[in-house]
Amino acid sequence: MLNKIILLCLLSVMYSHAIEEQRIQTVMDSKVKKVLNVLKDKKLSQKQKEQKSIRVMDGIFDYHTMAQISLGKKWKTLSSKEKKQFTHAFEKKIKHSYVDKLRLYNNQKVIIKALKKPKSNRITLENQIIGKSDTYKVIYQFYKKKQKNDWYIYDVRLAGVSIVQTYRKQFSDFLKTKSFSQLLKSL
Amino acid sequence: MKFILLVCTLLFLQACSSKEATPPLINEHKTSSEDKNEFADEFADEYENEEKNIIDPLSGYNSMMTSFNDAVIIYALNPVAEAYGYIIPEPLRIGVSNAIKNINFPVRFVNNILQGKFQNSSDELERFIINSTIGIAGLMDPAAKYKNIPAHREDFGQTLGYYGVDPGFHIVLPFLGPSNVRDSIGIIADGYVSPLINVKDIVGYKIPDNLAQTIGITTLYFINRTSLNLGEYESIKKDAIELYPFLRDIYEQKRVSEIDE
Repeated sequence: MLNKIILLCLLSVMYSHAIEEQRIQTVMDSKVKKVLNVLKDKKLSQKQKEQKSIRVMDGIFDYHTMAQISLGKKWKTLSSKEKKQFTHAFEKKIKHSYVDKLRLYNNQKVIIKALKKPKSNRITLENQIIGKSDTYKVIYQFYKKKQKNDWYIYDVRLAGVSIVQTYRKQFSDFLKTKSFSQLLKSL
Repeated sequence: MKFILLVCTLLFLQACSSKEATPPLINEHKTSSEDKNEFADEFADEYENEEKNIIDPLSGYNSMMTSFNDAVIIYALNPVAEAYGYIIPEPLRIGVSNAIKNINFPVRFVNNILQGKFQNSSDELERFIINSTIGIAGLMDPAAKYKNIPAHREDFGQTLGYYGVDPGFHIVLPFLGPSNVRDSIGIIADGYVSPLINVKDIVGYKIPDNLAQTIGITTLYFINRTSLNLGEYESIKKDAIELYPFLRDIYEQKRVSEIDE
């Protein structure tokens, strides 16, 4: 019985993917709340919490685009196989890092603040995490897929620091002295 | 029966809250060259050219100092903060954090005025009055909690940046961590205003009487703050391929965004 419920819940979560513009705020609001509830749930082990939180957030992140921007000019020189390998490794790295951060924010309050539309195909959503001693600003950056009304996250700014920009700089520095396959390994 | 209802509701809510669409599958992306160029143009202007060279004359010293600070955090600050957090209950530590923030009000007040942010400085003044009295010498933060007046963190480095002063090259300070020429000057200037820093016994309202007491209070501040954010540094560090350039980059990015606000 319980297994069925869990299975159905999992299935229902898996169907949440790209978001339409009008829904960004509500969907993100419910997703953030879901993650917070998962993190507060004392019945779950740390591993289960991590897996569940990732599943809630998964479909709206465009890891492929993130990987591509993070590699900058180098991306064009890669073969399609290398692109696939890199995207895969990058996705794992980002998820791992996200989960690791989640562990720190177990009992914190999140307030969804302003939604802005700087360009017709860009939307930013500001969240505030109220910590024990400080307040952090998290900005999710969405872009619109061409000819569609589907929005995906291509970058997240934590306290003003862009995740993608940070990787972009690091990868470029790394590739100045080392090879692409070494980079793949280090991820 | 109940559970079927529950599941139906869940599924329904799910269907309402998000639209079904093809997930961005990694291997299904178009790879025509036209597509790629368009793509690169679309995002390129939002990101800094990754091959841009950074002027970093102190890079040798900086990366050495980064390792030193790293060792201080891992082998001294963290264990001490952990023990401190074990002895002193969390509400009290949050109180200490609030009180230190409250005493440092002049720094934020002055820098908000210097940047012409008068609403923010009046917020700061109001916060200081409320929190120092009702908030019991700043131990609590009723201004934020009940009146919704947030603190507006500004320092002199940000004020200089606001008037267009370049950050200059990066400097890693012992114990204090990443900084640059502009922000180091900022730290000294703020030190003159802050009631918690007294190096030469200059102004009457300073709390510490001498350098030793200043160091004591600053150390307490760091231990207290670390005890409330244990594991944060390690978690950030895991994202680094090489520690020094990574910390330098996130520091400079953070400062740019703080100045833009």
